[in-house]
Amino acid sequence: MSKFDPNSEKNQHNKNFSRRQFMGITGSVLGASVSAYAMGASIFNHPPQINHRKIESGEFTNENLITDVLVIGGGMAGLFAAVKAHDAGAKVLMVSKGRLGSSGLTPFAKGFFSYDKQNSKMSIDEFVALVSESAIGTNNSVFTRQLAEHSYARAQELKAWGFFDSPLYNESFMRPINERNIPLHERIMITHLVKQDNRVVGASGFSLDQPKIVHFHAKTVILCTGSGGFKPSGFPVCDLTHDGSIMAYKIGAKITGKEWNDGHPGSAQNSGSSYDNWHGQIEEKPGITGAEIHHDLGVDLNYQVYRLGGPITMGGPGRKEESTLTGGPYVPEKFRRVGMPPAPPTEGVFGGLFNTERKDRQGPPGMGGEQVGGSSAGMAIHKSEGLVPIDDTGLTTINGLYAAGDALGSHMSGGIYTQIGSSLAGSAVQGAIAGEAAAELSSTLPILMITEQNQKKNETEILAPLVRERGISPAWVTQVLQGIMIPNFVLYIKKERMLQAALAYIEELRDLHVPMLMAADLHKLRIAHETENMIITAEMKLKASLLRKESRCSHYRLDYPEVDRENWDAWINIWQDQKGAMQFEKQPFNMWPKFPT
Amino acid sequence: MPINQISGCIGCEVCIKSCPTDVIKLDNKTKKAVIAYPEDCQICHLCRLYCPVGAITITPEKSIPVMVSWR
Repeated sequence: MSKFDPNSEKNQHNKNFSRRQFMGITGSVLGASVSAYAMGASIFNHPPQINHRKIESGEFTNENLITDVLVIGGGMAGLFAAVKAHDAGAKVLMVSKGRLGSSGLTPFAKGFFSYDKQNSKMSIDEFVALVSESAIGTNNSVFTRQLAEHSYARAQELKAWGFFDSPLYNESFMRPINERNIPLHERIMITHLVKQDNRVVGASGFSLDQPKIVHFHAKTVILCTGSGGFKPSGFPVCDLTHDGSIMAYKIGAKITGKEWNDGHPGSAQNSGSSYDNWHGQIEEKPGITGAEIHHDLGVDLNYQVYRLGGPITMGGPGRKEESTLTGGPYVPEKFRRVGMPPAPPTEGVFGGLFNTERKDRQGPPGMGGEQVGGSSAGMAIHKSEGLVPIDDTGLTTINGLYAAGDALGSHMSGGIYTQIGSSLAGSAVQGAIAGEAAAELSSTLPILMITEQNQKKNETEILAPLVRERGISPAWVTQVLQGIMIPNFVLYIKKERMLQAALAYIEELRDLHVPMLMAADLHKLRIAHETENMIITAEMKLKASLLRKESRCSHYRLDYPEVDRENWDAWINIWQDQKGAMQFEKQPFNMWPKFPT
Repeated sequence: MPINQISGCIGCEVCIKSCPTDVIKLDNKTKKAVIAYPEDCQICHLCRLYCPVGAITITPEKSIPVMVSWR
């Protein structure tokens, strides 16, 4: 495996004069977009000031909880992880930043892919082969097959819990949790995983409702924390900031898939409203989707605008110029749509269910009206980014640490959307398998308490933004980050010089602003930690994009536009070495990484 | 405004729990829900849909400028 460090200047902080010179030159191009954006932002009218704390660090209390299996996250993956770990005999505890079935992306997913062996027109082998063909080999076939094999059983369980009977999922999710008396701790943000004796031993976080830090001591941990984004506008992902990936990265776990992009467009009108972008789809009951392989929602629309400008409108035939547009992301022939502009997303990846009760709904994003891009910026294709698995249970490169759903970089569908409804179903399938595996492993392990020293360290780091007397507003840092990362010529239509320029900005945020992030209350404390996670994610995305010198699926390099099967039939793994530097390796397709790291 | 009015609140706190981005808080004096951080509202409507008495009104405009990848 080759190692690669696109930026050897890591951790040189503000002493690095040459980088500043570099920023002065190349940064000016990007600076134009950042400052133009900045001028309109009301938050910029409030310069950094003394931290007017509404809560003091001395008010915080501590709570310690002990379990066999700790499930972090209250979406579809977390639900099945908790239920199956419990049913396999483990003592389970669930903790979630939000409410069960009402946080992360789960509440908005309305399609559940179910492969029905009896009634499907294609065999599982054909399904897996077609996904691989659409994904140009980027999918991990083990997880693609697992999805097909287990999705039907998970759909039946959900049916029994009443999931398909209501547009809102909290009640049906609570049913199996209550039946099993699984303790559920909602509205606690987990910020730290703890590794001792070369295994994960628990996690620490804080309550969003009262000044309280909670340490969870566990034999095994399953991260069901979803994916994340840059708090973009128009996609309901603003509560997800890759928290699971970043806390795992900090204890040495490998992370993958950061070069891929989710390409959901948004409406030009009221681009900030995810409800309106999805035309009220959230008010519909979920439904089942069957096997139908696509190659959708990559960066085609961004390319079209990059070359021709707007407007982008969907649902009709392309303009004359669009039909003559050359270059752009490669779509395998079988998946091209005749007579249409590139890959119009006629259905969202969550499943566009037109047969449901609201006849007036125009459909998922991309239908009706002028479109804008970047509504899900910072998020990759579902299941393509997250912790690197070392086997089909979602065990990661850290002993005892599992991941499932969007937190697991399973590459179930690869670097492009291939199957509608597979996101939700994949989370259910992977959660269940990880739950059973974690329960089994827990039965062989003694409990190892998080040491006093590690508890203190976590508490200090959790409260740091609150303790600071002066600093920088996380909301401002977030807006700057969005101005750097979201324009379509940075992460969507990529090229060396612009990625390097953006990286210089992000390193500035990382080295200077992360240590100054300031919070006055519990909400802002959450925002401060989320902001740090977004900055590290931005660094990963830029560096992985620099490294992958080819184009494939939702990763498009203007300077390397061809698919390079000779050198790049590989995923990119990212991890932090013991000095704190971000490291990279190529992992050939269909190989598991070395374990343990 | 995104979430812009809570009228007729019964103080059940369901909206507070249901908001993914922690926009709504309980006013300790009135024991009713208040819109504490409208700038963080992602306009997903979960609070409105979970509210048992239909007390929440939402408009589609973001309260802070919106960054998109092209316009």
